[in-house]
Amino acid sequence: MNTRTALIGGALVVVAVVLFVVLGGGEDSSNNDTTTSGNAVENEAKGSGGNGKKPETTAKQQVPTIVVRNGEPVGGVQTLEFSAGEEIRFRVSSDEAEEIHVHGYDIAKEVPAGGSVDFDFPAELEGIYEAELEGLGVQIAELRINP
Amino acid sequence: MSWLPLAHALASRQDLPVPAWLFAWGASIVLIVSFFALSAGWRTPRFEQPHPRPFGAGLSRALLGLPAQILCGCIGVFLFGLAIYAGLQGTVAPDRNFALTFLFVTCWLGFAFFSAIFGDLFRPFNPWRAVGRAVGAGFGAIAGQRPAHVTYPEWLGRWPAAVGLLAFVWLEVVYGSGGAILDPQVAATAALVYSAYALAMMALFGVEEWCDRGEVFSVYFGMFGQLGIFGTRDGRLERRRPFSAATTWATVPGSAALVLASIATTSYDGASEGAFADAIEKVIGWVEGIGFGITASIRITDTIFLLITFAGVSLVYWLGVRGMRTVPGAPSLQKLRVGFAHTLIPIALAYLVAHYFSLFVFQEQAQFTYLLSDPLGTGTTDLFGTASAGVDYTVLTANAIWYVQVGALIVGHVLGLMLAHDRALVYWPNYRKATASQYWMLAVMVAFTCFGLYLLSVSNS
Repeated sequence: MNTRTALIGGALVVVAVVLFVVLGGGEDSSNNDTTTSGNAVENEAKGSGGNGKKPETTAKQQVPTIVVRNGEPVGGVQTLEFSAGEEIRFRVSSDEAEEIHVHGYDIAKEVPAGGSVDFDFPAELEGIYEAELEGLGVQIAELRINP
Repeated sequence: MSWLPLAHALASRQDLPVPAWLFAWGASIVLIVSFFALSAGWRTPRFEQPHPRPFGAGLSRALLGLPAQILCGCIGVFLFGLAIYAGLQGTVAPDRNFALTFLFVTCWLGFAFFSAIFGDLFRPFNPWRAVGRAVGAGFGAIAGQRPAHVTYPEWLGRWPAAVGLLAFVWLEVVYGSGGAILDPQVAATAALVYSAYALAMMALFGVEEWCDRGEVFSVYFGMFGQLGIFGTRDGRLERRRPFSAATTWATVPGSAALVLASIATTSYDGASEGAFADAIEKVIGWVEGIGFGITASIRITDTIFLLITFAGVSLVYWLGVRGMRTVPGAPSLQKLRVGFAHTLIPIALAYLVAHYFSLFVFQEQAQFTYLLSDPLGTGTTDLFGTASAGVDYTVLTANAIWYVQVGALIVGHVLGLMLAHDRALVYWPNYRKATASQYWMLAVMVAFTCFGLYLLSVSNS
């Protein structure tokens, strides 16, 4: 009885940990996939995600754009991923005039009604930061800066 | 729809999820450490005796005497009053108002973290205790007798504190997530309501009685203080063996509920944006379908998930206790449930560190710069010349945060195993049976630690 319960306990532990490792690993990578591919953002040319200098020149024309309509981001809060040290580039276009505020980096820019505004700054801070419509207090994007 | 729990509202920055490779390493280390612990455990209890080493009478008198008590009490009352004043009169912007950062970060996290190292630090600064004692002394001086109190019912134990903890976290993460963020005025009003309640209970049961059992913050910080190395006994300050004080802590009814509530509330706060986010979203839709408004639906759903988390965490512990009962020579279920509750305190602390360490480091910069110089967030006050300073987010890299998070969970796991092994040696004089009983607690600890790792690794929203 004694050793049997012990064995069962040990087996449970092993199963639990193996499950956690397998599931956890799977969960994480699949989540990453969805954030990069399942995005309504018009991403820069596929496969050239941020390594090397060449894409930077082409990316100039195709930066991700967040479209704001009626004070809401079209397609929900957008996730933009960057690596530390890269340039963070994105564009916000809005039907109404607003101030766009990137938290943490504390960068704010005005977007005119019916126009757009470009952000371009180095990714110095790691972590997840919000971009929001300052006046309405509505989050439009989440900037993920990976190390 | 955007989610804005407290950490969000204050810091406007979140931790990146722990990457898969680190998760795997963490879980593997937990597994290896656990099996090592099973084979290499000691054979006589080591933490059951505190082995106190008292400090000199002079030092004790200086640090614990009446002048020091009055000074600390005044500091506590002043700062608490300042927080309430800032909350009521200051800006509604949560991140620019002294109140929220002071109450929810500096005090809520700071007292827990530092008490776990140094022993209970909240007691001398407890504003309600200070006011209660002052009123009691005033009453004594006028009436010429000590105030009469109702005897605190033994069975009630720490239950009021456990329920209060759930209520506090509800206010912090559930009420605050309902579309509108928890604003400083709501927090200050809640603090005033709680103060009235705490003082009334102190008048009813006596100041020290209520602080030992029912006052949420005394009991909560006191729980972590049991791990710390300094304590007091008969007015003398003493150094004791780390973690040893915890071994006698859980004998009061409701203690297990309190430590489980602590693990559950931290888990919930971590999971509500990550692991549970999709499920919560779905249930909100159903609740809305019943006919509730959006804010009400969010709050109802969050409350349900908070309670489910509490039930789940409690179930894991209960299963472990049930398992231990099957080992021959086991004491009663009741005794086991109470006897191993303290072994979860390090786990609760590890959860707290893993989830809030970075918030604490970043937000304390705000606390000691612009929130101190401009507590009301008026933009025109600058008491200490630091009102225009900001938070430097480069002081911690993402890697540093990950290692601290995973490291905290592993250390908490090891400490929990140590305390559980120690307690098993008391209940089962036979070493083999003691070890056999610990397969069960091991499973409980592995479950909690891996759940903690899992919560960290799931990408938030």
